[in-house]
Parts: sequence; structure tokens; C-alpha cells
Amino acid sequence: MSTADAISIDSGGTGVPSNKLGVWLFLASEVMFFTVFIAAYIVLRASNPAWPGPEGHLSVPLGTLNTFVLLCSSMTMVLAHAAVARDDQRALRLNLLLTVVLGATFLGVKGYEYSLKFEHGIGPATNIFWSCYFTLTGFHALHVLAGVLTNLWFLMRAMQGRLNPRTGYGVELAGLYWHFVDIVWLFVFPLIYLL
Amino acid sequence: MSAHVSTRQYVQIWVALAVLLFLGAAMSQFPLAKPTIVVGVLTLSTIKAALVVLYYMHLKFDHRWLAIVAAFPLVIIALAVGIVLSASLVRF
Repeated sequence: MSTADAISIDSGGTGVPSNKLGVWLFLASEVMFFTVFIAAYIVLRASNPAWPGPEGHLSVPLGTLNTFVLLCSSMTMVLAHAAVARDDQRALRLNLLLTVVLGATFLGVKGYEYSLKFEHGIGPATNIFWSCYFTLTGFHALHVLAGVLTNLWFLMRAMQGRLNPRTGYGVELAGLYWHFVDIVWLFVFPLIYLL
Repeated sequence: MSAHVSTRQYVQIWVALAVLLFLGAAMSQFPLAKPTIVVGVLTLSTIKAALVVLYYMHLKFDHRWLAIVAAFPLVIIALAVGIVLSASLVRF
């Protein structure tokens, strides 16, 4: 068994496995990372009476659909975690595969949206709104990409039959990260697309 | 920790998340006052985030240390927002 398959590592006194505690600490730092960008967006928008806005270049239905895709991927991720816990290999593989596909779909739609902006000559330097848009959605997309690659890696290990209740603890940790990425989007989406 | 929640409950939470998502998107198009829409949509987002954290990330059933770790950045953010708002209140 490699360290990649590592089961939960007991911690010194906290009662929480060290690797899980580490992931939560990492997520806490990520919360502050994204809060800085979101707070900057809110402050800039509130202090600018002539806020330019998307001016019809953002599709609410497409953004809503993409958010739905991410919500679906959160459910399949947690189902993959439940599957590895009860050693249901078929459900584990299916749900990890769905999570990867849904995550890639989200990125595909985001790439399509970006291409539409570029076709209209819109970029990060167009105005303050688009600077915020590309910064927030770009950093989020990078996080989604990291999550997709991580989930793909776990899918490959599941296909090899190397994940079981004892060795599949990483699926839960990957899930924590994936759900966090979902939560960030639950705030970025309404702020950029709806309000 | 997944033993606390059944597959059926996971799906029920997903349905609730989807309903809240489409409700928020619809609310943003209603002819309501802007502050009402802002508060309504962000409240729905907060409820969705809470559902994900509590049930999909299992914080509701997990060790209290993790709840403390999860709450810590929120305390920092609250302090920062408080400082920013108080600074704007005393500005002439």
C-alpha cells in the first residue's frame, strides 16, 4: 500500500485524524483566500455608482445550468464516499466517473462562456466588472480543475480496485475539497450573474 | 462519517439544493426592490452552503474540532467586516 492509499492517520490528542484536520485547515485558508476576492468585488461595486455590469454579456440560464451541474457533482461525490465506506465498488466507480464528467462539463461551459466574451472583444482589462469576473471565475475554475484531476486520480485507483473502506479514506478528503469548491461557486454565481 | 446519512437523504438534500438554486435565479428576475433581491438571493445561497457543509461534508456529525476550524475564518471575516464598516461610519 502506498502513502497515496493511506488510511486515516490518528492524531495526537485531538481525536480527529490528522489528514482530515489538515484538509479542513487548508479549506479554512481557502475560505479567506476567496473572501478577499469576493469582499473586493463587493467593496468596488458598492463604492462605484457607475458600476458597468455585464451589459447583457452574461447568460443567467447558462450560469444557473452550470451551477446545477456543480450541485449534481457534489451529490455524486458524497455518494462515492458512501460507496467506498460500504465497499460497493460499482457505485464507487460510477459516482467518481460522474463527478469527473460533471466537473469537466462545468469547465467546458465556463470555457464556452469565456470564448463568447473574447469573441466580443471582452477581456479582463475591459472594465472593472470584467476584471472582477475573470479574477473570481478564473481562480474558481483553477480550483475546479484541481478537483477534477484529483477525482480522476481516485477514479483510476478505483478502476484498479485499490480503494476499499480501509484504503479509501482519501475519497472523503477529496470530497471535502470538492464540496468546498461547490460552496464557493454558490456565492460567486449570484454575486456575478444574478445581483 | 457517511453512515449518519442515507443515500435517500443525500438525494433529498440534492433536490432541496436544486429547488433553492432555481428559486434564487427566479427571484433575481422578479420586479422587486434591489435590496430585497440581494438579501433574498444571498440568504438562499447561505442556506445551500449550510446544507452542503452540514450534510455533504458531514460537519453536523463530525468532531467539534472541525467545526471550530471551519468557524475560525468566519470569525476573522466578521472582524474584518466590522473594522471596515466601523471605519466607513466614522469617515467624514
